[in-house]
Amino acid sequence: MSQDWLLKVDNLSVRFQSRGGDAHAVEGVSFEIQRGETLALVGETGCGKSVTARSILRLVPEPPGKYVAGSIKLNVEGKGVVDILSASTKEVMAIRGERISMIFQDPGKALNPSLTIGSQLAEVFGQHRVEMILESAGIEPARASRAEKRIAKQRASFVQLRFFQLTRRSKAAALQKSIDDAVARSLADTGIPNPRKIMKSYPHELSGGMKQRVMIAQALACDPDLLIADEPTTALDVTIQARILELIQDMQKRRGMAVLYITHDLSIVREFADRIAVMYAGHIVETGPAQEVLANPQHPYTNGLLGAIPHRRTPRGQLAAIPGSVPQLIDPPEQCHFASRCQWAAEACLGHVPQLHTIQPNRKVACFRFEEAESLSVAKTDMPIPAEISGEARR
Amino acid sequence: MTTASSSSSLHTVDTDSVVTLNDVKVHYPVKEGALQRVTGHVKAVDGVDLSIARGKTLGLVGESGCGKTTLGRVISGLVAPTGGDIWMDLSAQQQLDVNRLRGVNEAEMTAQDRQMWKDLTLNSRLGSMSREKQRQYRRNCQVVFQDAFSSLNPRQLVRDIVGRPLRVHEQTSGAELDKKVIELLERVGLGAEHLLRFPHQFSGGQRQRISIARALALNPEFVILDEPTSALDVSVQAQILNLLVDLQAEMGLTYLFITHDLGVVQHMADHIAVMYLGQIVEYGPTDQVFDSPLHPYSRVLRDSNPSLEGERNRDWELSGTVPNPIEPPHGCRLHPRCPVAAAGCGWSVSDVMSRTEENSPVIFETIKTVDRSDDYNAQINFENEGDAQGFVSQLNGSVINESMHRPPEVRGASVKVSFNEVSDASLEQIQDGRWSSCIRTQERGTLPDLNKSQQVNGKEGQ
Amino acid sequence: MTTGPGSKKTAQSPTPKKSAVTVKWARRLEVGREVLRNPLTVIGLTIIFLFLMMAVFAPLLAEPNQPDPYQSPRDWSNIDSPPGVAGHVLGTDSTGGDVLYGIIWGSRLSLQLSVTVVLFTLVFGTMVGSIAAMRGGRIDNLLMRIVDVFLSIPELIFALAIAAVLGPSFSNIILALAAVFWVKYARIIRGEIIKVKQADYVAAARVVGDSSWNIYRKDVLPNAATPLIVQATLDMGNVVLIGATLSFIGLAQAGLTEWGALVSAGQSGLLAGEWWVSTFAGLAIVLWALAFNLVGDGLRDVLDPKTEGR
Repeated sequence: MSQDWLLKVDNLSVRFQSRGGDAHAVEGVSFEIQRGETLALVGETGCGKSVTARSILRLVPEPPGKYVAGSIKLNVEGKGVVDILSASTKEVMAIRGERISMIFQDPGKALNPSLTIGSQLAEVFGQHRVEMILESAGIEPARASRAEKRIAKQRASFVQLRFFQLTRRSKAAALQKSIDDAVARSLADTGIPNPRKIMKSYPHELSGGMKQRVMIAQALACDPDLLIADEPTTALDVTIQARILELIQDMQKRRGMAVLYITHDLSIVREFADRIAVMYAGHIVETGPAQEVLANPQHPYTNGLLGAIPHRRTPRGQLAAIPGSVPQLIDPPEQCHFASRCQWAAEACLGHVPQLHTIQPNRKVACFRFEEAESLSVAKTDMPIPAEISGEARR
Repeated sequence: MTTASSSSSLHTVDTDSVVTLNDVKVHYPVKEGALQRVTGHVKAVDGVDLSIARGKTLGLVGESGCGKTTLGRVISGLVAPTGGDIWMDLSAQQQLDVNRLRGVNEAEMTAQDRQMWKDLTLNSRLGSMSREKQRQYRRNCQVVFQDAFSSLNPRQLVRDIVGRPLRVHEQTSGAELDKKVIELLERVGLGAEHLLRFPHQFSGGQRQRISIARALALNPEFVILDEPTSALDVSVQAQILNLLVDLQAEMGLTYLFITHDLGVVQHMADHIAVMYLGQIVEYGPTDQVFDSPLHPYSRVLRDSNPSLEGERNRDWELSGTVPNPIEPPHGCRLHPRCPVAAAGCGWSVSDVMSRTEENSPVIFETIKTVDRSDDYNAQINFENEGDAQGFVSQLNGSVINESMHRPPEVRGASVKVSFNEVSDASLEQIQDGRWSSCIRTQERGTLPDLNKSQQVNGKEGQ
Repeated sequence: MTTGPGSKKTAQSPTPKKSAVTVKWARRLEVGREVLRNPLTVIGLTIIFLFLMMAVFAPLLAEPNQPDPYQSPRDWSNIDSPPGVAGHVLGTDSTGGDVLYGIIWGSRLSLQLSVTVVLFTLVFGTMVGSIAAMRGGRIDNLLMRIVDVFLSIPELIFALAIAAVLGPSFSNIILALAAVFWVKYARIIRGEIIKVKQADYVAAARVVGDSSWNIYRKDVLPNAATPLIVQATLDMGNVVLIGATLSFIGLAQAGLTEWGALVSAGQSGLLAGEWWVSTFAGLAIVLWALAFNLVGDGLRDVLDPKTEGR
């Protein structure tokens, strides 16, 4: 199993410089994603989940952002392991889109409003799949002329394109057909009922759900090994949300890719993720199989988060709100960041940062309630009341 | 004002209402061309009847673009309705009177009725009641907006933001104002130390508390909550929801809770009204609506809401996308997307066209021209008879075919279609206190079954 | 209910004895300090300060000429003398006018020109733009068409035409510039107000029941005004530039100690190698315009709503 990982984030720390000091957006985050697995990174605004996701594609702007420590290793099939953080820009560009791609919360903003859907997708194919396009147009990639390559890459100038179309009519038509077919196929794959029509439309003519489908088609054009979905359904209506998530799940099964969900919505995690990592103030505080963690949360924060979700069984006005709000991230003190909002907080919690601690084979929690006083060299009286791990008994 | 509308329009049973809407419409003109000619209307809110019971919470749910925010703005006076009446403070009996009298032509009223109508309009109808009363209504009806970042003036201090209603309506100022603002801040869980701060110095949850404090400054009876927590994190949302419930109990507030989050509305609301494309499609007590929806749209909404327990039912789904609100579908507005749509749901020529375009683009391409005599009758012209035949066979067996006046005839290269006219769907009481606008539910008394009708409404061509 | 991060802050800052006025001024000071963080802005401000000093203390720096201090004293014995000769630090022009005197007293005219024009156009443009945006509909349409007409003619040519019709004098240059510059402000403020009017805090103020005038005064204008402030700062420089152009082509009185007129006066001597008149006067114009542009850009960086609020 340890050999089978696709992505391994190890001790990642990202900071943002600001006038008041460094904001510790991500601190010592480690996790693995297996091939074909779905991991959900869950947390509230400012917990560092998006920064973590963007780091994987090295999309954090530097400055003000800075990768302070850690590595992000990608296991590329047949090519060995690449550390994305120390790789050259060229290597990173090759990974983006080819190996890892990403879809965003607001599909409206991620699409270029002045290009048709068809030409935006054609560009993606032109960038990553030139050979495929040439081949299906009946041109051997190795012997393709410069003009043919440029057209396939969508880089040909208007004059060049017109000239080619006039002089080599059949080849031009074959190339165009090959591009259109590839685009139409990728759109049809995402369940768009009428791809030829959608290709000719502009983003503003489509509904939010349709745009998200186009985004997915674009992201999956190159069969990536990992799809990062950053709040893919937050901007969508509830009747469409489930269908988009089902689509991603379906594509994942067909292509065997891994998916990393970034979300604040625990209810979609339960249905669509294998594993979950809960983040709080830049740290992962709990990980484990999604169903188990949600059914039986161990970290006080995860527990609080679940209690805070409005539910029809909760008497009105008695939601178990977590008091206070997220602590500041600028030069945070050496302590458990949840301590100020935690009902169990004790002396020990204010003196150390808790590390992830294995409590069951697949589950880890970063909370002193699961640790022994001796291992921390803290007086027993300073420790919070130990937790009873009830997961085993319940299962 | 006295156009005949359904005589049993939505009213609260046995209780007073703070606001009652009758056939309220907000139509925005669509202007085109150099001369800015009006070419149509966006029907953002199109004929809404609604009553909000005193001391209760009414949840208004729907997806983006359904008109729920516009409706909230109409009630708060921010948007002027282009049609219909808004009444304040009607007793249960008065609501019935209004309903009855609205159905009667003014000329045909008895002298007694006429007097009653006059009293009602003068005392309670927005627009015809006295200025003093209008002002009182404005004081009594306050709003908390969705985006706490945009609803607080970034250049004002908390004292001025929260104290503004007091300044405007009660001429309070100086130390007196400070004292009152501090009281209000304490009521929402903030304190005197926050008095002289700017909005940007607060977190999202705290800003929403400031917003709530402002809304409560004049001791209103009625607060419109327009997505008050959808910009907040769950843990903070829970704090705000708890606060809202506490305040309601303390001050006897009535809430109109506008949201797209079914979990929140289920937790907060006594009654819910479900909106789709400018109209209310279902109204009833929250628990009952969730347990046994009486409109296919509510059913789909409920089923697609992800939950933390139980399996999600994936059978009920909508097809296609939200239609253009400039020309909404006839009959029931949901029918082109509805999983249980039947022949009588209001099919028309536009539906045939859009359905063909969605499901059989190849056939759609063969259409040359369409001559519409009206929304229900048209002649569709093709290149040749074969294409026309293809078009007709495509419709065979679909619910569209059933809803036609007579089967589509092929005449040379053209097809004549003619539908039965269906009047627009309206809310009708189906059970005690439960209204639905689904034509099929109104016939049967329960929500139609999915399985039977699914065969009728097969998804051909997908 | 406990409060969030705010509670920590209150522990540090003593709350009593603070009034709304001091808090607001503290905020303004903070913005001011932010502006001063940019070294280029500081350079600009320094240059402006020096020019201001020059204008204020002109009588001390160069004894005023009688009867009209805005005409350089003529030293007929030293015509076209280069810098440093016979006590003329920056030389003299072809009529024996001292260049330094011209620049010092010219700064008063430049200040007068830019302050009058910018103040007037700012107020008038804001009024027109505000009325258009707040009223909307037909009034908006009408006012904006007028603005469009003004905008369709290049500033310089328009000002030139007006000044030419009114006849050559410095006050006519002020009039001409004022007639041209206000349209920009009307345009900017209208756009901003239409944007700000969408904000929920304006809706909130309407729900509260405040009057339109109060909403305009408290909510709309303060939040729409920032681009105007930036534009006004930039225009303090631009106005002098265009004013100088007009007097360069002879639309000011002859012999006026206006920088543009000085450049013009020195022009004929340029070919003969008498570079100093035009150069020093031109330098003054460039420095003035540059200084205000530096400050304007600095202000924009700080006040721009996109970077504000953090």
